Amino acid sequence: MNQGMIHAPPDRPRWRRLLLNRFVLVPGALALVVALWNVYVGLHDHGLVAGRVADAAGRPVADATVVLWVLDFTTYVEKSRTTTGPDGRFVIHDNPSHNIQIGAEKTGVGRSTRIPVRLYFRAEDVTLRAPLVLSGGG
Amino acid sequence: MHRYPRWPIHLALLAISVVMLVPFYWVLKTSVTGENIFSYPPSLIPRAPHPFYYVDVWYYIPFARYFLNSVAVSALTVAANVALNAMAGYALTRDFAGKRVVLMLFLSCMMVPFQATIIPAYLITGRLGLLDSYLGLALPQCSTIVCIFVFKASFEAVPSALADAARIDGLSDWGIIWRIMLPLSKAAVATNVILSFIWSWNNFLWPLIVTRSADMQTLPLGLARFLSYQEDTTGALYAFCIMVLAPGILLFLLAQKEFIEGLAAGATKG
Repeated sequence: MNQGMIHAPPDRPRWRRLLLNRFVLVPGALALVVALWNVYVGLHDHGLVAGRVADAAGRPVADATVVLWVLDFTTYVEKSRTTTGPDGRFVIHDNPSHNIQIGAEKTGVGRSTRIPVRLYFRAEDVTLRAPLVLSGGG
Repeated sequence: MHRYPRWPIHLALLAISVVMLVPFYWVLKTSVTGENIFSYPPSLIPRAPHPFYYVDVWYYIPFARYFLNSVAVSALTVAANVALNAMAGYALTRDFAGKRVVLMLFLSCMMVPFQATIIPAYLITGRLGLLDSYLGLALPQCSTIVCIFVFKASFEAVPSALADAARIDGLSDWGIIWRIMLPLSKAAVATNVILSFIWSWNNFLWPLIVTRSADMQTLPLGLARFLSYQEDTTGALYAFCIMVLAPGILLFLLAQKEFIEGLAAGATKG
């Protein structure tokens, strides 16, 4: 019996025996990771979605309409829309979701495919790496 | 020195371990790929893994609430099991009239499945006003006979001279349990903690019956609810399974040494 007992050296203080063992350190490390993650989430959950819109030749498209769809449990519904600036850039400020789609269109230039964007948490601030490319506008 | 080479045994154990771990690996792989289980040809290596199914699970259902409920119920169950089973196990190491009858009664009660006693358990819990509460969820699992015998075996292995000396020094039976027996029975305590935690964590039937509000549901009920919500979400379903399993696996890995020692002691010295 008692094979499971851990006989600490006599010079080891009691607080070290109580605190520095795997039953405290592992949950403590996990709690620390969760706390840090929550801090990160708290600093990056403003619902900002930024990106660019370009035409088939790669030139920025001004005044294009950018639409945000969010997943409403089973289907994507339109949440908000904005227009691009002179440099083809846009920022959406009110994304509440973690599972969204982004698309853009402009009369005469064309329409982009809907780009699915998966986020690590709701309302995560994100900048799209690739531009939304408009095509098929004749 | 071993008379025979050990490597064939290790090789066989390794092969058996691989066979037993494949389902776990498959669940983990599917949770990060969403690959349909019927896809052909099956791929052993995950293709384009991503963690977003876990994010879906976190937001599709109130996972944090279910997790908190499961933690609260499991904590109550574990605390009650260690305290009550230790007292019962200690009592069974003492001599008293009708001890054999009590032991026979315990052993025979182990053969009665919980499903057979669920109606009286529900009525008692209802009379106590504990339906839809953490204590009500934990109540039927607050003591388990297997764990009582684990404590009994462990306490019987403690030299009786220790308890006698403590008694001569004026320690009560309560003191002997908490100050002598439990500190010398860490393997039994770990076994109690792990078994009661896993049983409570995975319990489905009792929470299904005793909870009335969605806010009091535990993770296994959440899994059932999730299945009823979502039809085409293989990846999220497997991610949910991983999230439900992870705390139990972590606890087992933390205390596996004491757990195996406690089970071995209970098996050989009971």
